[in-house]
Amino acid sequence: MANYHEEEVLGKAYDAALMRRLVGYARPYFLYLLLGLVMLLGITGTSLVRPYLLKVAIDDNIIGTGSAVYEFPDRQTIPAYVNDDYVIEVEGKVYVRSALLKRADKGLTENLPRVTIMNVQKTPVVIEGIVLTHDLTLSTSPSGEISAKDTKGNEYAATVMDKSVMQQYKEYDSKRIRDIAILILITGLVGFLLTYYEIMLLNWVGQNIVYNMRRQIFSHVMNHDMSYLDRNPVGRLVTRVTNDTDTLIEMYTSVLVNLFKDVFMVVGIIIVMLKLDYRLALVSYMLLPLIFVATMLFRKYAMDAYRKIRVALARINATLAENISGMKIIHLFSVEGRMHDEFDKINSVYYKSGLRETMVYAIFRPTMEFIFSMSLTLMIWYGSKGVMSGIVQIGVFYAFINYVRQFFNPINEMAEKYNILQAAMASSERIFQLLDKKPEIINADSCTHVEKIIGKIEFKNVWFAYVDEEWVLRDVSFTIEPGQMVAFVGATGAGKTSIINLMSRYYDIQKGSILIDGIDIRKIPLEELRRNISTVFQDVFLFTGDIKTNIRLNNDKISDEDVRRVSTYVNADNFISRLPGGYDAKVTERGSTLSAGQRQLLAFARALAFDPSVLVLDEATANIDTETEALIQDALPKLMKGRTTIVIAHRLSTIQHADRIIVLHKGKIRESGTHQELLAQKGIYHGLYQLQYKESFIEAEAKREASQEGSFAVLDEKS
Amino acid sequence: MRHYAFLKGFLKKNLWRYALGVVFLILVDACEVIVPRILGPITDGLANGTMDYKGLMRYVWLLTAVGAFAMVNRFLWRWFVNRTSRKADYHMRKMLFDKFMSLSERYYTQNKTGDLMAHATNDIRAVRESLGSGTVLTFDSLFLTIATTIMLFISVPTKLALLGLVPFPMIAVAVFFFGKVINKRFKEVQESFSELTDSAQESFSGIRVIKGFAQEELETDNFMKSAKKNFDKNVALMKVDAVFDPMINMFATLAFVIAIWKGGSMVANGEITLGSFVMFYSYLGSLVWPMIGMGWVINIIQRGMASAARLNKIFMEVPDIKDAPDSVGHFEFKGSIRIEDLTFSYEPDGTRPVIKHLSADVKAGQVLAIVGRLGSGKSSLASVLTRLYNPPEGTVFIDGVDINKIPVSTLRKQIGCVPQESFLFSTTIRDNIAFSDHDLSDAEVERYAKIAHIYDDIIEFPAKFGTMVGERGVTLSGGQKQRVAIARALIHRPRIVILDDCLSAVDTQTEESILTALGEELKGHTSIIISHRISTIKHADEIIVLDDGDVIERGRHDELVELGGTYADMYSRQLLEEELAAL
Repeated sequence: MANYHEEEVLGKAYDAALMRRLVGYARPYFLYLLLGLVMLLGITGTSLVRPYLLKVAIDDNIIGTGSAVYEFPDRQTIPAYVNDDYVIEVEGKVYVRSALLKRADKGLTENLPRVTIMNVQKTPVVIEGIVLTHDLTLSTSPSGEISAKDTKGNEYAATVMDKSVMQQYKEYDSKRIRDIAILILITGLVGFLLTYYEIMLLNWVGQNIVYNMRRQIFSHVMNHDMSYLDRNPVGRLVTRVTNDTDTLIEMYTSVLVNLFKDVFMVVGIIIVMLKLDYRLALVSYMLLPLIFVATMLFRKYAMDAYRKIRVALARINATLAENISGMKIIHLFSVEGRMHDEFDKINSVYYKSGLRETMVYAIFRPTMEFIFSMSLTLMIWYGSKGVMSGIVQIGVFYAFINYVRQFFNPINEMAEKYNILQAAMASSERIFQLLDKKPEIINADSCTHVEKIIGKIEFKNVWFAYVDEEWVLRDVSFTIEPGQMVAFVGATGAGKTSIINLMSRYYDIQKGSILIDGIDIRKIPLEELRRNISTVFQDVFLFTGDIKTNIRLNNDKISDEDVRRVSTYVNADNFISRLPGGYDAKVTERGSTLSAGQRQLLAFARALAFDPSVLVLDEATANIDTETEALIQDALPKLMKGRTTIVIAHRLSTIQHADRIIVLHKGKIRESGTHQELLAQKGIYHGLYQLQYKESFIEAEAKREASQEGSFAVLDEKS
Repeated sequence: MRHYAFLKGFLKKNLWRYALGVVFLILVDACEVIVPRILGPITDGLANGTMDYKGLMRYVWLLTAVGAFAMVNRFLWRWFVNRTSRKADYHMRKMLFDKFMSLSERYYTQNKTGDLMAHATNDIRAVRESLGSGTVLTFDSLFLTIATTIMLFISVPTKLALLGLVPFPMIAVAVFFFGKVINKRFKEVQESFSELTDSAQESFSGIRVIKGFAQEELETDNFMKSAKKNFDKNVALMKVDAVFDPMINMFATLAFVIAIWKGGSMVANGEITLGSFVMFYSYLGSLVWPMIGMGWVINIIQRGMASAARLNKIFMEVPDIKDAPDSVGHFEFKGSIRIEDLTFSYEPDGTRPVIKHLSADVKAGQVLAIVGRLGSGKSSLASVLTRLYNPPEGTVFIDGVDINKIPVSTLRKQIGCVPQESFLFSTTIRDNIAFSDHDLSDAEVERYAKIAHIYDDIIEFPAKFGTMVGERGVTLSGGQKQRVAIARALIHRPRIVILDDCLSAVDTQTEESILTALGEELKGHTSIIISHRISTIKHADEIIVLDDGDVIERGRHDELVELGGTYADMYSRQLLEEELAAL
């Protein structure tokens, strides 16, 4: 579920402090990220090499004008490693192309005459000198000399050769072209594998970081103060640990490392282009300032539009959700017309900001495309002139067409990364806000370890307020001896629930002290304190899962045997065994399929399984059928045996045998004593007792309402 | 297409915009297809040395012109198509909102807010995308594929063209199948994500139990199992998702390898010119995108159809509360209510009635009180009187007219109802009080705030009546909310007032003074007061005690106390409670 009501916080797209913290989370994966970076270099290499290989193929082999052919004096002067098949012999002269010679032997050709071998009007000829054009005509002079003439009137001496010799010469080209094709295929494959593993690696890292982050946030919430949890709606906390972290995955995978990909690509292309031909390269870059300006303008307008859209959308969703929830009121007051107009206003704002974004993109994208095609045209114009004057090889020219195209891709992807970054900043800000709010109820530096609490509880002049000075407990003092059963009674808001909240240290008191076995509870490790005090709330919270895990929770130390034993002891085994699946029966939707009494029995089993020294019963007996009621009444004494028991009584009949009954009224202890003593006093307790014995349906109602208030009865004490 | 029935009107009006957009899109594609046909001759001219400066300039200008023309058309198609999809988005949302308002209470008890929100956000987006990107991708990839293929055959020998085309159908098929697998795994990721959300939700809701048993660490481990599952599902998705782009690149590379190997050799052997090779190579390059597009299109349209079907279902929903064809016209209420043997059930088949055989006659200006425990049917009577639910024909009459025959707005405008849960809207206090009519004067608003005893609270807020009440009125206390709701219901001076247990969160003293003030204000109004507090209803002309839908006692306060039954019992208990509270 998305959180429609969440305020859209759209801060800066980049915040150095937030970014530093985010990068900090990536530190354990530094080596993986480094590996990813190395792979990125490889990927950049493979995508840069293809246009270059194509250039080589075109210049050297496809059209052949780029490869020099030399006339060697005789076969002996040709290095031995040159394959005889590729040596051409025409009318006693031998020709070898320089591509066949090893680099060290290139010097051999320095003083040799250079020739061009090509088909002129389908006749294979050897032309003396360097010819860059294919548009030649052959003519035979009266003396029988054959010459080739180009369109500009240059004339070159030529020798006609046999078609088979030409074929033999071309065979080398075919082989080279095949080799290059295979090479391209291999780089393609390498690129494929590198890209795949790079994406996988980065994602794995991103997922890991977020996984760790989720643990940190979840555990932070788990260990936070109750008062903090009261203040923050569950939905908001859930969003932090799920949606907000999810936003970060993309930041870690697409932005953090891949930003380098674009940089590598751009830098790589610039280097290759400059190396191939710096003049052409410079001409290609001429329109870069335009791109820079266009991108800056786009960023300004697009971000503005994006922000407006997000705000409008958040408003639309909030309004929709509110109106759906409050539809009854809209109907009751017959204001559909006005609500329609109001929604239309918001919807129009969204539409208009959407149009604005459409406009920004409709202008930006075509403009970028145009700048790109103009860069290409400029390069074609300048490159063509270069080819025409023989300065630029045609393969280089064609490679540039491809490089210019590649050059523009990373630039286009920038906007998208910007959006991701912006969302990540907003999310991380909310996450860090949560993490920076440290719990106040924590273990003291010097703790007294108590494995097993004996069960003496003392409140000494305790003053407590949930908010400021709105005292819920005023100067409350009492002592409960180990093994005693003490009941608290009083009206709603008297402070009963607060007392049990304080005992488990869900909140810290403002004045006075609470001692357990003579030790201030602030000196007892929270975990040990709470493990020894089990509370059975009137509204039993069940987790989705099965019966078994609801009894032992996540504690594997409690075996199936134990679960069965405690269940039998508290009379729960009977109904559990009848459930389909028994102890493995599924509990769904907070146990809605179980009756209130059954849930109560489960809670008893749960409490017993953990064998606490102090048992707290927030007793609720509403809505329980008589049969289960009897089971509960039977189980209670068994449960209390050998433990200090504190009962918050909603029904006075169950506490008549308590060792002591404490009557709370408006945060103060007003009466204290046994049932008989208190009745004799004819005070508050006496009044309450009278009230309870007037069994009317109103009581049932009050109880039902009480049970609906849930276990967080704290809330009504506060209000 | 029948799923898009609800958009018929919109499409009829706007189809030409989409069509025009597609025309401009095709012009852009045409420009793209032309470029290699310009590069080819340039390359040939350069390779053969036949190019002269004049010829070059002609090509350069041609390229510039094509680039400029493409730019204009690129702008135009975006403007027409994307603008229209935005419009569709606006239109659908407006329609849906109106539809939501026309649906009655029953619909909202059957459908969760979250689901309805999902329709309004995700489904509308999916339909918008299927209309926008769906249209564009379909025509774009179709036209580009056809045009490029034709150009390919024109530019190079048939055999070479055929050979170059071999990898392309594979791309479309791969995109389609990978798209399917990706969609499936993506769904699994989403499922594991909602599992994660549920897990966190549950842990945070049950945190008291977890803390109580010192289970924080173990619960964290438990939550991390869900997190791990989400992690695994994400990695599983990536395994296919990550292969997608590189795979398409690989297919494209395959096409290029064929181009270089075969095409290159043919140039070397003089069978084709270098220009033809360049065209061949470029056309193969420009076939990659439409193949990806074709694979996508199917997924986008499938998603759009599923969403459209869901939306259509809502639009087909027939509201059960609406003005009857034979309803009377608007009339001013005098305010008498007659209920004749009303039996009412929320179930369509009439089982499990919540009100059984209730009859009552309330004369204009009288006060009728209903008491009874939770679930006794008290509030259902309020729902029926305001026609949030329709009562059976001939059971409820206002001024002698069957309530089902009274136009809904006539009825509701003359009944002021303060429902049990005081829902406020997240706007100012003033607008919440003047909810029925924002044009009400400040003086009116203040007067009714005083009557509802909320005035003093309001002027203590820094922003006074301009105070924002927050989502659902969270910044106000329960009692304050109830009092604002009372002012809201009374301000439009309804003939009939229904107070449904609306003072439960107010302390007895305040309640007393509100009631006194209300008594003055309500003089002459017909009122129905539903309560479980006797003090609220003592002075009613008639009191009906409901239990489980049955009338068990009825009469005036004194009569009922004398009767010594349930009512009397309730009364004595409440007196006792008051005594205790006063201690």
